[in-house]
Amino acid sequence: MAKLAIFFALTLSFLPFLSHSFSPDTPTDRRILVLLDDFSLKSSHSIFFTSLKSRGFDLEFKLADDPKLALQRYGQYLYDGLVLFAPSVERFGGALDVAAVLDFVDSGHDLIVAADTTASDLIKSVATECGVDFDEEPSAMVIDHQNYAVSDVDGDHTLIAADELINSDVILGKTKIEAPVLFKGIAHSLNAANTLALKVLSASPSAYSAHPTAKLSSPPSLTGSAISLVSVVQARNNARIMISGSLDLFSNRYMKSSVQKAGSPSKYEKSGNEQFVTELSKWLFHERGHLKAGNLRHVKVGETNEPAMYRIKDDLEFYVDIYEWSGNSWEPYVADDVQVQFYMMSPYVLKTLSTDKKGLYHTSFKVPDVYGVFQFKVEYQKLGYTSLSLSKQIPVRPFRHNEYERFITTAFPYYGASFTTMAGFFIFSVVYLYNK
Amino acid sequence: MARSLPGFLALIVAVALICCSFAAAASTFQPISESHRSAALETFDRSYGSLEETYEALQTFDVLGVERKPDVGTAACQSVSQTLVSSSSTLKDIFYALKVNGVLKCEVDADSVEGIVSTLQTAVGSASSLLEFYHSIGGLVLVKNQALKDDLYLADAEGVFRSIKALSQSDGRWRYSSSNPESSTYAAGLALEALAGVISLSSSEIDQSLIGTTKNDILKLFERVEKYDDGAVYFDGEESDAHENQGPITSTWSVIRGITSFAAVTSGNLNLPGEKILGLAKFFLGVGIPGDAKDFFNQVDSLACLENNRVAIPLILSLPATVNSLTRKDTLKVKVSTVLGSDAPPLKIKLVRAKDTPAIESQELKFDSANKVHVLDTLEKSVDVGNYIFVFEIVFNDPEHKKAYAVESKTEVPIFLTGAVKVGNAKIAVLDSDLGSIETQNLDFAGENLVSLGANHLQKLKLRFQLTTPLGHPFKPHQAILKLTHESKVEHVFVVGNTGKQFEIVLDFLGLVEKFYYLSGKYEIQLTVGDAVMNSFFRVIGHLDLDLPEAPEKAPRPPVQPADVYSRYGPKAEIAHIFRAPEKRPPQELSLAFLGLTVLPLLGFIIGLLRLGVNLKNFPSAAAPAAFAALFHVGIGAVLLLYVFFWLKLDLFTTLKILGFLGVFLLFVGHRTLSHLASTSSKVKSA
Repeated sequence: MAKLAIFFALTLSFLPFLSHSFSPDTPTDRRILVLLDDFSLKSSHSIFFTSLKSRGFDLEFKLADDPKLALQRYGQYLYDGLVLFAPSVERFGGALDVAAVLDFVDSGHDLIVAADTTASDLIKSVATECGVDFDEEPSAMVIDHQNYAVSDVDGDHTLIAADELINSDVILGKTKIEAPVLFKGIAHSLNAANTLALKVLSASPSAYSAHPTAKLSSPPSLTGSAISLVSVVQARNNARIMISGSLDLFSNRYMKSSVQKAGSPSKYEKSGNEQFVTELSKWLFHERGHLKAGNLRHVKVGETNEPAMYRIKDDLEFYVDIYEWSGNSWEPYVADDVQVQFYMMSPYVLKTLSTDKKGLYHTSFKVPDVYGVFQFKVEYQKLGYTSLSLSKQIPVRPFRHNEYERFITTAFPYYGASFTTMAGFFIFSVVYLYNK
Repeated sequence: MARSLPGFLALIVAVALICCSFAAAASTFQPISESHRSAALETFDRSYGSLEETYEALQTFDVLGVERKPDVGTAACQSVSQTLVSSSSTLKDIFYALKVNGVLKCEVDADSVEGIVSTLQTAVGSASSLLEFYHSIGGLVLVKNQALKDDLYLADAEGVFRSIKALSQSDGRWRYSSSNPESSTYAAGLALEALAGVISLSSSEIDQSLIGTTKNDILKLFERVEKYDDGAVYFDGEESDAHENQGPITSTWSVIRGITSFAAVTSGNLNLPGEKILGLAKFFLGVGIPGDAKDFFNQVDSLACLENNRVAIPLILSLPATVNSLTRKDTLKVKVSTVLGSDAPPLKIKLVRAKDTPAIESQELKFDSANKVHVLDTLEKSVDVGNYIFVFEIVFNDPEHKKAYAVESKTEVPIFLTGAVKVGNAKIAVLDSDLGSIETQNLDFAGENLVSLGANHLQKLKLRFQLTTPLGHPFKPHQAILKLTHESKVEHVFVVGNTGKQFEIVLDFLGLVEKFYYLSGKYEIQLTVGDAVMNSFFRVIGHLDLDLPEAPEKAPRPPVQPADVYSRYGPKAEIAHIFRAPEKRPPQELSLAFLGLTVLPLLGFIIGLLRLGVNLKNFPSAAAPAAFAALFHVGIGAVLLLYVFFWLKLDLFTTLKILGFLGVFLLFVGHRTLSHLASTSSKVKSA
């Protein structure tokens, strides 16, 4: 019996090591919960799911109104990522609600939300909490009479061939997405004050959001480039969120469909959807664009050990290591815009670091002639990358009394005067005493 | 509530399915086409684990007429003969091995067939659950159909029929076994297929009343059917513990297999309404191309069963293109085919009417026998641009076909007729409040020339244009939007209203100053006119210099405009610390010159002394006082020298220490010297 108990205790203590869960060392997500309106989506969107599975994710499919839904058990999250492919769900089943989804994101987990014309208030409120406002008008769709996909069967120009993609290699991959991305769904906009949300796929200036058949009597609430079709949010805790106004964007049908943008002579055999969705999901689930910095260190020029304190006007060298997660290993991160600040209430020195392309960043500078408690600060924010924020405190002291300049030429007349007076005194003392 | 919940679920499913498919959204269904064939190759392009998966792949390829890879056949045949010979094969394995054999026509030796038949015969005799019946009877039917053994009959066919029938329930569904009360539609399909097998295997006629009640069961089963708005019907899947996750596709597939095979072996009519059969076909066509291999097989196999059944063969009316350009003089083509895309029997298609459009009268489409499509080519003369809903009707040439085929009585198809809409009479003007026009400019939407206007808050901007269709009627597009964009990217959107023939918008700036946030400056004027059926355009017309009054204090502030994404990040400007400048010093030469000057008084002093003729005659001559006097002056010299060293290197503590010793010494020798000097001078005085 006792043996059994020990065995259990051992097994339990090893459990954290056995599960491939989210950790700072391997930031890629592993376990993903996919919530669906209907299991037929599993088949109609199988290319997307298969691509995730082939990249090593464990997908768990559940109906959004499954009464046994839960994201966490005993305070531990069961999943690293959540995919909400359930636009019309009015209420989640089980213990899941908007607050639980937001807590999930607040604890650093990733989220995909896809909506369409049937989008429920629930899905819209999840998006609103993430800083993305869907068009309030029910059954309004994005219509674009200029940049629609030419189709023989779909004539109301709600199938949009969108090609205004964000210009970021880290979000959409190094290979340029040539073919337009097919989109059919609802519009959303980003709050201008929100600096965390980005439009990944935006509508063209001629687009507008309205009901395709009803007469347009009042100005549409969203028009032109203000309409975002697919947006991403990277929270301050590096949790990533993708919000798409179209669920069909992920569907096999759109991925395999050929596409020709209206007014453009080039016809593509395959739409850009598959590449777009695959690359974006790589970014979203932290297979790309996740940075790690560490080993922040500094030495006085010519020395090897890190000092506990600097004197003003010392020359110092600063080093930091930065690596990027490539999906399975940490690769050196190469960039020319990493900066270090020597900071006390405000930066006294701000210098761009140079890299040896093996992950080591380096610079050297002279300590300012102000003493006090300074910090080395590396605060790095780049489009699509996780943000880095490191700091290390270091005091700076003034000169000691014997560290000033000793013989100042300018003072020589004063010295000369005192010494000649002294010599004169000596001669005078002799003369005064013995003169007769 | 219990009734409404499944209905609600069905609605969600319906909505999801409709949204996932173009064809369903357009409410027209396309028969299986080339894209399905290429998708089949992709979906089944892998090694197959079980014989069941192999059968599904082979059957799908077979139905779609896709060439399969030759090596698949040999490998599968090997595993078929292994399964048939092996004694440990389960009924299910044998069943699927025979199914694969049915597609591949492998060479199976007669001995193993004998063994299999006897295994299956005993299995039928001892079977208690539905799946055992299904697999064993299905196996025997397959043996018979593949002509592996002649004179194959079921001994007690009617008894077997009754024992399967005993599992049926009053609502048309079936149970898997007599001990398990759970029933499903999926099981009903399996049971019907097994019953069909029993009938085909029986040596004598089965009691007609039994077949009659089974037909009744089928009718009851069809009362459970779920329906979409577009006419597609399906059987809802049910979740059961034993047989997980039977979605609507699997359930519907099973029922279709069951009823088609049952109808094939029984005489007489099943009395199923043709629209339900058509609805089933629509359901599977509306699914699109499933990504899942199982769903794919179920879809293709169901359609293959419907393609050639005795109940009613569904015919699908489809349009290769519902978007037709009047300027290109496109003709409206309508195609009627079976679900798998084969030709329909000779028939006529009538355009009955167009919904809400009285102008289009009933007419018959011409049959183009070369392309096997029905063509309506008189469109551009009679019909204007716009979106219509055309109602088509199928009329069979041979009235007998009306029974054998299931067609929709009236098919409604949304049609978009596009064409070039002319823009004319486009004018933009700035008006004074009394409507006296100051400057009217003609707009040319084709050209690139931009207008430049100026206005203040007391004036009005007026824009008007006309749109005419190719037939000369005024056209009202869905999107007619005027957008004014300030330099600071604040946008104002207006819908251009239309008054019968022409579009006109008047912007009275006096009423708009608040809305414009009192922002004066240059506004860009954009006009977007768009509709699904016209040649839409999006154009910058020009600029408007607006002079608005100063904003009062309480005026609303313009909204914040999003900052450019790319400039939000990026490196900051470098900061280099500016060090305090060292104090200004005179040149070294000057200091040294003054150093020289400080020596001059000493020199003057020495010269003065020499001039005065100083002497040292008073220096004691006696040895001891002379020594003390010498030591006294050496001591003074040492103290002075100590000061020099203090300057050069010594610190205060060392200096004071040494000075202490020197001081005591100096005091002593100084006292001796000075007292000696004092005594000599007093002697001299007294003398």
